[in-house]
Parts: sequence; C-alpha cells; structure tokens
Amino acid sequence: MAGTGLPGGGVAALAAAHPAPSVFGGSANVVAVLVLLLEFGMFRQALLRDQIRLYAAQSAAISVLAVIIAAARDVPQLYVLAALSAALKVVIVPVLMRRLLRGADGEIAGSGALGLASTVLLAIAVGAFGFFAVGTLGIAGVTLPRTALGLAMAVVLVAFVLMIVRRDVVSQAIGFFSLENGVSLAALVIAARMPLILAVAFLFDLLVAVIVFGVLIRVHHGRAESLSTAGLTRLRG
Amino acid sequence: MASIALPVPAIQALQVVTIAAAAPGVSGVIARAEARLQGRRGPRVLQPYYDLAKLCRKEALAPEGASWFFLAAPLVAVTCYLTVPLLIPVLTSYPLPLGYMGDILGGGFILALASFVVAVAALETGSPYAQLGSSRAKTFAAITEPVVLFVVFTVALITGTDLPYALAATVRSSAGQIVRPAHLLATAALFMVILSETGRIPVETHTGTNEFGMIEEARPFEHSGPYFALLKWGSAMKQLILYTILANVFLVPWGLAATTRPADVGLAILALLGKALGIGLVVAVIDNSFAKLRLFKITEYASAAFLLAVLGVFTLYLGGG
Repeated sequence: MAGTGLPGGGVAALAAAHPAPSVFGGSANVVAVLVLLLEFGMFRQALLRDQIRLYAAQSAAISVLAVIIAAARDVPQLYVLAALSAALKVVIVPVLMRRLLRGADGEIAGSGALGLASTVLLAIAVGAFGFFAVGTLGIAGVTLPRTALGLAMAVVLVAFVLMIVRRDVVSQAIGFFSLENGVSLAALVIAARMPLILAVAFLFDLLVAVIVFGVLIRVHHGRAESLSTAGLTRLRG
Repeated sequence: MASIALPVPAIQALQVVTIAAAAPGVSGVIARAEARLQGRRGPRVLQPYYDLAKLCRKEALAPEGASWFFLAAPLVAVTCYLTVPLLIPVLTSYPLPLGYMGDILGGGFILALASFVVAVAALETGSPYAQLGSSRAKTFAAITEPVVLFVVFTVALITGTDLPYALAATVRSSAGQIVRPAHLLATAALFMVILSETGRIPVETHTGTNEFGMIEEARPFEHSGPYFALLKWGSAMKQLILYTILANVFLVPWGLAATTRPADVGLAILALLGKALGIGLVVAVIDNSFAKLRLFKITEYASAAFLLAVLGVFTLYLGGG
C-alpha cells in the first residue's frame, strides 16, 4: 500500500512477539483455564446445589484433559484414570454430597466474610502469587506446557481462599475437594506417566476426605441445626 | 489480471460510510429480534431510520442557562464516532493510510472523549436525570476501564504492538493462535465489556425508561430535535464500532478484503453486516436470558470481566499461553 510506510506484509512480520503454542498445547491450556474459572465460579454460586454442580463440572474438565493428554501423548493408562476419576468425582461424590444435603434445610450458602468483588480481587492476587511462584521454579512438564502447572497452583490457592472466605460447611468441603482437583491437574502436568496404581491411590485419598467431611457436616448440622460455621467462633464454656 | 481498483482513500471513506449507514439498521434488527424473543411482534427493522428522520424535522430546544457547549456536544460526539472507523479494520485486512493515526488506545481515547462531552453536556442542563445518567456512566466506565487496559496488554504481549490490524493478522496466521487461552480470555473479557458498554447487561434496560437501571439512556434526556437524533445515531454507531472491533480484530477476522477490487470490498461490507448481525443476535439472546442485577452489583460483573482479562495476561507470562 503506497504511502503507508507499513505494507500489508509488515503486519504479519510484526506478529511474532509471543510465539503461538501448538494446537494441542493451546487446547490443553484452555481446559486448564476452564478448571480455574470454575473454581472462581464457586465464589459466585449462592446455592449449595449449584456449587456441587460446579465441582462436578470442574472434575469433568480434569477428566477431559486426561483424555486429551492420553490421546495426544500416547499414555494409555490415563484413559483408565480419566474413567475412574470421572466415575468418582463427577458421579459418586456429588451424589453423596447431595444426599447429605437432603436433610439440611439451609439451601443457601452462608455469605462470605468479604463482598464478592473484593473476594474475586483477593483470589486473583493469591492466584497470581501461585502462578508466578511456579514460574520462577522453572519446572517444565514433559506432557503439558508450563502454563498449566501455574494454573494448577492457582486452583489450589484459590480453593484455599474459598474455604477461608465462605462460612458454611458445604462450601468448605467443596473447596477442599476442588483443591484436590488442582492437585490432580498438577499431577497431569508433571507426572502424567506415573504408575496407575499411584494415581488411583490418590483418588482414594479423596474418598477418605469425603467420608471425613460427610461426618463433619452431619455432626455440625446435628449440633448447630445449621450448616453455617459463623456460630462456631463464639466462646462456649 | 487488469481490473478496476478502488483508490485507497475511497475505501477508507467507505469504512466510515458503512459504519454510519449501517448502525441504525443493526440496532433495528436487534430490537426486532429482542421483541420476537419476548413474544412481541416488535418494530420494523428500519424503524431507527424513521425515528432519526422524524427527529431531524423537529424543533431543537435547549434548557435555560445552558451554554453553547450543550448544543456542540452532539456534534463533537458524532465526529468522534465517525473518526474511529478510520483506525480499525472495518473492510480491509491491509492497513489504510490513516489507519496508523492511532492504535487501540487511541481509538479508546476517542470513544472516551465522545462519552465525556455528552456527560458534560448533560451536566450543563441541571436536569437531575441527565446528571444521574452521566454520573453513573462515568463511575462505571472507571470500573470497566482496567478490563479494557488488560485486554490491550494481552494484545500487546501477543503481537508486540497494539495495532488492531496486527492482532487480526496474528489471529488469521494459525490455528494455534486461535485456541491459545490468552486470546480466548481477552475476547471473552472484551465481549463482557461491550455488553455493559452498549447498555445490555448487567443492569441497564436498553429501551425502557426505568430509572433504576438507567445509565446511557438518561444522558440525552434534555436534548431534542436534530441534536437528539445525532446522539441516538451516535450511540448506534458506537455499538456497531464495538461489534466491528470484536469481530474483525478478535473473534472472526476473516472475510475482509485483501485487495482494492470493488467486488472484494463489497463482499467485505456484506461480511461485516453478517458478523455484526450475528453478534447482535447473540447479544439479544443473552440480554433476554439473564435477570438484570441491582445497580450496586455492577462491580461483581466487572470483577468477572477483570478476572478473564487478568488471567489472559498471566497465561502469557508463563509462556505458551
């Protein structure tokens, strides 16, 4: 184009500051970002049932990511892991949690200690810390791009924020379970080829957590007649 | 092959004319689609044009005590909206002579200037509604501004420049550029900003005069006649400009003319209209599927958009994003 000084080809030449990832890397990262966004979505959900639904969606995203890696990187045992984790985290745990909630009358989660917008900003700051902390470590996964590892760390830390800010037992339990999702994501990045038996053992850890939290929710509900933990700060004696 | 080539300045002028002429029509289609979604028959698609024509025949009045600025503001605002299409890829994939006059930030400044003069004109009137609208518009613009900034940062990190043409070329270059999370997150954040800037979501009702959710619509309350027509036309142009940026820079930068042949440019006009109407229909569906929030909940919406934009920058910093 005469007179512009920058012909049409110049634009394409400019466009190489951050090289694009491969399509596989990009889509794997998108699924990892989705996991983190669902974690943030839990802040927004006021209904406990919807929060459980979000957890199921997040677990499904992890399973999808495992299948993507299994297909692209040729790690057949990940298919088994994906199926097991989908059965456990998408079906069994949500069903158990819903059954636990059936007796409880409080359908609405206790309001958080902070407003929603402030919580999100706080969680962004905490997540950023995890993101950049992992970045300085310089760990590179063999199966997935590094970004996914930072996102996994952010999921873990944001899950902590969820557990700290929310004042009801169910949100705290869901926060803990989704923390385990973040750990699974990190495991997929760093050690996708770890022996299946180990991966399954980690999954059973989650089952233990579900049982412990289930008992906790039952006991708390039986004593306090509510799912809120706000009353627990009062001194008794 | 020897064929007729349009002169480049003519194409650039055509970009402005396309935006100016098509904007009310796009608004009309959206209004029609919205009415259909709500089970009404809705106005004619061409109704906005008739409205503008009717307003232009009416008398123009100014409130007592308002200065010359009150009447100058609509003219300045429309001039701003007519300037922005010079800077963005409306019809062509190659940069036009004046396209490097300003980058994304420059375009943003011009849009902000238009909104600023309208707000000042609203303050001139002393009318409570117009003042309420302009005060709200400025407050919430300050909340969505960080989102736009982070979207610009993402573009700058991806392309090394902040020229809209460069990002469009990058997106076209490979499939890896399309699926990278930074691009998708920035696009989603920009879409959320556009929804709130064009008065759809989260609190405004686009057409009504419900004062609780009134932001943009309240500002031209005191204008009348041709000046009011200019303001209405301007807000329709702003909507189409934002849709064009979303479509031709971020979402679907295909279908732009790569040559100066009239046939290609004509096809690009049709493609632009198709894209804008597609976005408009999606916006209408979204607008009708969510309940409006209360006014002070607008920060929650802005924080969600901010989250998307910030995550986009984060994923780029660790590489591969």
